[in-house]
Amino acid sequence: MSYLPCGYYFEDYADDQKWWRTRFIKGKMILMVVLLATLPLLVDSQWLSVAYTINYYILAALGVQLLIGYCGQITLGHAAFVAVGGYTTALMMLNVPWPQSMIDGGLVYPICIICAGFLAAIWSVLFGLPSARVKGFYLIMTTMAAQWITVPLVITQYVAQIGGRGQAFSIPTEMIKIGPFSIDSDTKIYYFSVILVAVCLVAMGNMVRSKLGRAWIAIRDNDIAAETMGVNIVGYKLLAFFVAGFFAGIAGAFYISALFFVSPEHYEWFFSLLWVGIILIGGVGSIQGLVFGSIFVVMVFKLLEIAVMGSSDLLMASYPQLGWMTTKIIFFKEAAFGLAIIFFLIYEPNGLSYRYWQLKNYFNLWPFSYTGK
Amino acid sequence: MDLFLQLLITGIMLGSIFALVALGWVLIYKCSGVLNLAMGELTMIGGYVCLGLYQRFVTTMPIEYAFLLALIGTIFVGLFLGLLTERIFLRKMIGEPILAVIMVTVGLSFFFKGMVFIIWDTDTQVFLPRVFPIEPAVIAGVAIGQVYIWSFVAALILMVIFVSFFKYTRWGLSMQACADDEMAALSLGVSAKFVYALAWAIAFMAAGVGGTLLGNINGLNYSVSLLGLLVLPVVVFGGLNSIPGAIVGGITIGILQNLSGGYLDRFFPGGIKEIAPFVFMVIFLLFKPYGLWGWERIERV
Repeated sequence: MSYLPCGYYFEDYADDQKWWRTRFIKGKMILMVVLLATLPLLVDSQWLSVAYTINYYILAALGVQLLIGYCGQITLGHAAFVAVGGYTTALMMLNVPWPQSMIDGGLVYPICIICAGFLAAIWSVLFGLPSARVKGFYLIMTTMAAQWITVPLVITQYVAQIGGRGQAFSIPTEMIKIGPFSIDSDTKIYYFSVILVAVCLVAMGNMVRSKLGRAWIAIRDNDIAAETMGVNIVGYKLLAFFVAGFFAGIAGAFYISALFFVSPEHYEWFFSLLWVGIILIGGVGSIQGLVFGSIFVVMVFKLLEIAVMGSSDLLMASYPQLGWMTTKIIFFKEAAFGLAIIFFLIYEPNGLSYRYWQLKNYFNLWPFSYTGK
Repeated sequence: MDLFLQLLITGIMLGSIFALVALGWVLIYKCSGVLNLAMGELTMIGGYVCLGLYQRFVTTMPIEYAFLLALIGTIFVGLFLGLLTERIFLRKMIGEPILAVIMVTVGLSFFFKGMVFIIWDTDTQVFLPRVFPIEPAVIAGVAIGQVYIWSFVAALILMVIFVSFFKYTRWGLSMQACADDEMAALSLGVSAKFVYALAWAIAFMAAGVGGTLLGNINGLNYSVSLLGLLVLPVVVFGGLNSIPGAIVGGITIGILQNLSGGYLDRFFPGGIKEIAPFVFMVIFLLFKPYGLWGWERIERV
């Protein structure tokens, strides 16, 4: 919690825990809503796709933030649960004999999203079961095993073979429709992703400021102490895995609408680590940090791509032997991402959200900023 | 029966390479408490460095000398890289929470992987001309590829060297002291920084040799780093801070991997060979989370 500016006093806990506590914050949020709503008018579709990629990363890393940042259960296999969500949606759309009225009415996709969420949540709880017995490094190993068992084995070898379509499923576009809105352009995908992210972030925010969240935070801070205080730690840990898996399933189901197809290579181990990296860069245990981290990582990737592509165009004229740079852009991204994680952990272990917190306090306390240090 | 024996013997020999790499992992964990997830990439770097040196040397000298020189060169590059990595990245992380340290090694693995594929290509590369003759040797009626036998011998020699270094030399003793009780070791004048650097250097060297041997067996590509990642089931099985556990675990996982590849592949076609150790690890974790000889941590509030 940041310091309040002069003139604000809260007399009870409910006031103190409100979403928008001051008039300034209300103004800021309205400004943000306006900005998000008008973004498609301001930028072209290339940057809109960057925007909904950011939103996808926020959705996917939401569960990671819940598990690592709030419940202290380190997971390195979250892409597996996103994959379960994505494949559930794809298979339900393709293999269930939907009546035409439901397809026209746009009911198919919402039903698929919910089912994807629940299936991913159950899958996640299954791999969360060892958390009852082990923690720390050993739990990391089991979540890693979730990744290795789910994506290369179960999904690539069995699930992706259903229907004999080959590994990549393409989704008929008329299925991806919510109510009367058919999600078929970058602008619509963008709005859909913004709404989904807003709903999920509000849900997450409400969860962590309720009894549930306080129990998770107690487990994160010291699980033995939490148990002595009467927190059912196995139950709450599994609940954390359930909710994290649910968010992951929603993320997987959402990404279908952006890609129109699904293939195992979108759920490799790299992404599991990427989402953990996002919350480390943004700040562990902070919902804002999640957003900052996603924006940072996606923007760095995009800018790196522009820089390498642009510079190689320039250089290619005089040094044609540098053409290899464009083909290896993905490895530049990986190396840069690795360095970013390392340097954030060494020099800014509290993440971007801590800097934002400092900045806010500076202005809230101005001109007496020395009290807030 | 022949198939079983062949799978078993090849498994033991493959497992000895895993054991060598796992030894490096366990040394790092014992001495500095760092849980290293970059081991796969260290293995891969070693393989590629050795390949590069070998291709350079082989033009001017006979194959055996070229390979030996390249291997020694790899060990020295590993030493240098290990010291450098520890100095630049890991020393700043002493005393940080477990997630931070693990994610630094994950960051390292991304960085190394990116650098390896920027410098070398992603296509599979093989040691040409072949270092080990292609015709198999026959032991007790079972045909074994010569590359496996030589890998086994090399891994065994290196393991003996590392273990005796750890047990009998002065530096090894200071590493043991640091692993046992860091505070006491510090107060007796053991330099913890030196010990950490040494542990990383040894891990890099062991992984480099392991990567070279794995590269000789199947050729070098990204899958070498996945094989290097098998070190994690190995150390979970053997116990995180047990050197005999690493050796036994390595050989067990090697056998398990080969047997599952030989027998289970017809029931679960596809990648069962790579996945079996991880499945085994999850089941093992449920029953004996501290491994065969790992220390059980007793926690206090």
